Amino acid sequence: MEYVLETDQLGKRYGGRWAVRDCTLRLPAGRVAALVGPNGAGKSTLLHMAVGLLRPDAGAVRVLGRAPYGDTELLSDIGFVAQDTPLYRDFTAAELVTMGGKLNRRWDAALARTRLAQLGLPPDRPVGKLSGGQRAQVALALALAKRPSLLLLDEPVASLDPLARREFLQALMGSVAETGATVLLSSHILADLERTCDYVVVLSASQVRLAGPTDELATSHRQLIGPRHDGGPIGGVAAVVRASHTDRQSTLLVRTDGPITDPMWTVREPSLEDTILAYLTEGDTRASHSEWGVAA
Amino acid sequence: MIWLTWRQHRKQALYTLAGLLALAALIVPTGLSMRGTYADKGLRACLDGLRDGNLSPEASNTCMRALDAFNDQYGTLTFAGVLLLVLPLLVGLFWGAPLVARETEQGTHRLVWTQGISRRRWALVKVAAVGGFTLAVAVVYGLGTSWWMAPLMHAGQLSRFESGLFDMQGIAPIGYTLFAVALGVFAGTVWHKVLPAMGVALAGFAVLRIALTVLLRPRLMPPKVRTYLVEGNTGERGNLTGDWVLAKQVRNPDGSIVASNTEVSCPPGVTGPGGKACGADLGLQAGAYNWQQYQPGDRFWLFQSIEAGVFVALAILLFYLAIRRVRRIA
Repeated sequence: MEYVLETDQLGKRYGGRWAVRDCTLRLPAGRVAALVGPNGAGKSTLLHMAVGLLRPDAGAVRVLGRAPYGDTELLSDIGFVAQDTPLYRDFTAAELVTMGGKLNRRWDAALARTRLAQLGLPPDRPVGKLSGGQRAQVALALALAKRPSLLLLDEPVASLDPLARREFLQALMGSVAETGATVLLSSHILADLERTCDYVVVLSASQVRLAGPTDELATSHRQLIGPRHDGGPIGGVAAVVRASHTDRQSTLLVRTDGPITDPMWTVREPSLEDTILAYLTEGDTRASHSEWGVAA
Repeated sequence: MIWLTWRQHRKQALYTLAGLLALAALIVPTGLSMRGTYADKGLRACLDGLRDGNLSPEASNTCMRALDAFNDQYGTLTFAGVLLLVLPLLVGLFWGAPLVARETEQGTHRLVWTQGISRRRWALVKVAAVGGFTLAVAVVYGLGTSWWMAPLMHAGQLSRFESGLFDMQGIAPIGYTLFAVALGVFAGTVWHKVLPAMGVALAGFAVLRIALTVLLRPRLMPPKVRTYLVEGNTGERGNLTGDWVLAKQVRNPDGSIVASNTEVSCPPGVTGPGGKACGADLGLQAGAYNWQQYQPGDRFWLFQSIEAGVFVALAILLFYLAIRRVRRIA
């Protein structure tokens, strides 16, 4: 399988604190991947290393087999929409498209203009006077006009209202279907991702907890409800991701390696959101326990 | 990249040029009228005559009065001129500090540095464009004020070598301006917000300028010393040679200092109150003399070149460091 983005033991440190550590990840070509994690998990740092804004302090990141930091040629193959979709606010959308043409060797201005026209955006108004949703669309059009092989988006919908968020994700999906770019989209809004993404990377406390196609995650995870469980092995369960107990009952989210036949357990298929949350919670407890110096 | 630079800074460039025009609207008419008066009164011949000492006493008096009148009429312009001292600083604050800091403050560095050009190229073009533009502005400003102040600087009272007047004309302001811009750009690569970068640039510029003016400039070359007797001195001749007097004292023949920061003259045949010898009530003995330490006026351009060179060198160093730092900002 061809990997568009690969990281190997990747780490980035700010002062003494690791924002990303031991991050190993392979993103296959053609995927629309969600990079999920709580605020401060290192999502932005990971994306910034992937687009060459940051230099890794440990390990390696490769895009299309090359290290992005300082590689200007590679930049033309990576589309990037940064957090809060920064644009020169006194530029008009048309000027921004012109700017892209001046700064990139490969630039599909027609594509950007067509997209912006379809969305009904005014070409001659400063983008600072547009709504947040419109600005995000302009930023996306600029990223797509590079005709990138890899499109990275850092929380593109975080500050948008639900309607604008849906329109943005629809526009993204439509264009990805056209261009065939691989997408890595960071977000902490889980509900949106279930509709748009076919691959999930869960990043928590600076490490990758889970990565895989969403359909595989769906088939390989189960929610078990049964009598209080003391931690013994259960047939068909590879690992317990998260367990919560009451006096008489346990609810487990487990990764399976076979059918669960024990009639003691009621088996349910968890939603993608449930699975992701289970991994996020697991990461959280582990980190805080070690930081406070107490046993988990 | 050049298109982008122009598009981003054209408004600012327009405001700067408007500011220069406003300055010209002050400088050109007053400068022309000053020059007209200077020529009408024949002050140049006066000054040459006074300096060479070949005027008759009457002509000398007429000349002194004419020069005084000229200085009274236009001398206040130097106060306006001193206000212009802050112009290089302003250019540095408004052109230099936001160059990188505004990008990082608004996050647009993540937009522009992920396009298909290297950060080094981005930084080089920006620095070259902004540096070149401010250099042109500074040249116009420096030479413009030199032209403006020239008659006043050759009217026997003010010396262009004095602190404050030295700093606003010639090529030194060009050095200051480039340095201020470079310091602003560099500060913007360290402090990633515009206001802190401006604050640091302001403080850094003020400290270095004052330190170099007060501590370094008087010692750039060993000052010269001249002495002349109190008795027989025909009076303060003002500043005919454009010297920069660093210290003046009145001393007795044994070398003891009678008074500092002053000059005493006793024209031939003049006696003090009560028929005592001239200056006796000040404690002056016979043979007392004036002592002056000074930088001669003909060193003006040498000092200008040294000072401009120092600041241009600092500016180049800061630009270089800034461009290096741009490659590490995320």
